[in-house]
Amino acid sequence: SPTGDSWGIFTFLCAALCNLPALPALNCSEELGAGQSIQQTYDLTRYLEHQLRTLAGTYLNYLGPPFNEPDFNPPRLVRAEPRVPSATVDLDLWRGLTDNARLAANYRAYSRLLCYLRVLDGQVGTAELRHRLAHFCASLQGLVLSIGGVMSSLGYPLPAGPAAPPAGPPGAPAAPNDFLKKMDDFWLLKELQTWLWRSAKDFNRLKKKVPPAVVTLRLEARGF
Amino acid sequence: PRSVSPAADPAVISPQDPTLLIGSSLVATCTVSPDFPLKAEDLYWTLNGRRLPAASYAALGPSTLSVALARLNGSRQQSGDNLVCHSRDGGILAGSCLYVGLPPEKPVNITCWSKNMKDLTCKWAPGTEGETFLHTNYTLKYKRRWYGQDNTCQEYHTAGTYSCHIPKDLALFTPYEIWVEASNRLGVAVSDVVMLDILDVVTTDPPSDVHVSRVGDLEDQLSVRWSSPPALKDFLFQAKYQIQYRVEDSSEWKVVDDVGNQTSCRLAGLRPGTVYFVQVRCNPFSIYGSKKAGIWSDWSNPTAASTPRSERVAGGCDPKVGEQNTTLRRELKQFFGWVKKHAYGCSNLGIKLYDQWRVWLQKSHKTRNQVGKEP
Repeated sequence: SPTGDSWGIFTFLCAALCNLPALPALNCSEELGAGQSIQQTYDLTRYLEHQLRTLAGTYLNYLGPPFNEPDFNPPRLVRAEPRVPSATVDLDLWRGLTDNARLAANYRAYSRLLCYLRVLDGQVGTAELRHRLAHFCASLQGLVLSIGGVMSSLGYPLPAGPAAPPAGPPGAPAAPNDFLKKMDDFWLLKELQTWLWRSAKDFNRLKKKVPPAVVTLRLEARGF
Repeated sequence: PRSVSPAADPAVISPQDPTLLIGSSLVATCTVSPDFPLKAEDLYWTLNGRRLPAASYAALGPSTLSVALARLNGSRQQSGDNLVCHSRDGGILAGSCLYVGLPPEKPVNITCWSKNMKDLTCKWAPGTEGETFLHTNYTLKYKRRWYGQDNTCQEYHTAGTYSCHIPKDLALFTPYEIWVEASNRLGVAVSDVVMLDILDVVTTDPPSDVHVSRVGDLEDQLSVRWSSPPALKDFLFQAKYQIQYRVEDSSEWKVVDDVGNQTSCRLAGLRPGTVYFVQVRCNPFSIYGSKKAGIWSDWSNPTAASTPRSERVAGGCDPKVGEQNTTLRRELKQFFGWVKKHAYGCSNLGIKLYDQWRVWLQKSHKTRNQVGKEP
């Protein structure tokens, strides 16, 4: 919905802005900053989830049936190097994650996913799809920055590795034929979806540990 | 439950990702890898999710099944038709993307224009059929006549799908050769070459600061003033202008063609007490004395004004031809006339004010084509 998008864009901008060190108007102390940032990161993942639904719909229609059929569930061919880090993890393992590990997993995953999506953007056929992909990548970049901001404000070091995409496609071997590439694209979108679901839970958990002390900013965002 | 297959591909399809002409036939084979305990009779085919009839299958070996596809239609999606080899339980063993279509046609109707002599934008149309079912790439190329090097335009889709924008490094007073190449998996087609000099296709911004005002109390005239577009002020050219105007409720424009290069004009023969919309556009002809016409700019945004109307006594009916004669308007005029007669000091209230309100209403609603609509 248009109003939903306005809210989302506003939240996204706030998230990006909040990660700038000098923002006197907000008067953030270390922990207050983290609280707001976590809420905004959470909001961003929800907004991206919504955006992904539209993007995935368009992209899967471009791939054609059976990829756009609701019950499509092809085999996932294991490759030498896993293409994207999997979001699904043992529940006890997930519960036991430290804040640092939790945030780092999210940061690494989305940095990687962003790289793959950008490669996709270069190859895809229709102008409409390229436009949607570009928009989504911009929002996803905002999410990566937002997570980085949360980590910095809590005093955690950012994980090493490609936050920006390397010159060529990342290390994973390219699919050997067009059909397998379609399958890779399908699983990329699925993994993105799963990560966004998982991140919402991750940030909800983090929210409880670092509550947002400045509530007014969030209310203003909702009233927009 | 998601199944994870071992590293080797379960099966191999041949041909893998072929490109075919519409109407051609194809025999594809699916060969199961020796690691898999599947036989030819355990397999079936689907094309774009639809199961293919068993009558078109043939077992070519213990673990190889073929399918015959005849008279193929153009691909359902540009990413290729999905031909898939399945095991009996529906699992996907292998797939092949079929690209079925036509080679491109020669692009046609190349038209170009230069905004303020700084750049060049060209647009074209795909060849007659347009639909090739395959992704078709268009490249606009240009070179100065008699100078060898081909250049490729980089900024596409600036004025619609089939357009490209060349932002700089264009020479004046020299002919350019321009053409468009269309290519897809089945071939290439090159348009005819268009030859032009940048100076022949110059257009400019619309005139700015368009003002329309009354001429004293004259009921049938309006005065239009505007400024020459600033971007061309350094270039030796003569502008000529055109004005078009229409009555508020009509969609029929009247064009004034003989404005010449003045920046003002008086419209006459207008209806009193009527709201008019006016637009102006500019043609930068005779650039550097070339005597050639340029390309007309876009029309300026419409400016509105109303012609005056002499005051009438209450109850007088209106004999003017074509006067907007709705019940509401008649009653309003009568009311205002009565107010003037009986309420001293209300001289500002009148049908004039009502007219101005109508202008404002039209602007904000943009109901240009709704004739006689009541506000």
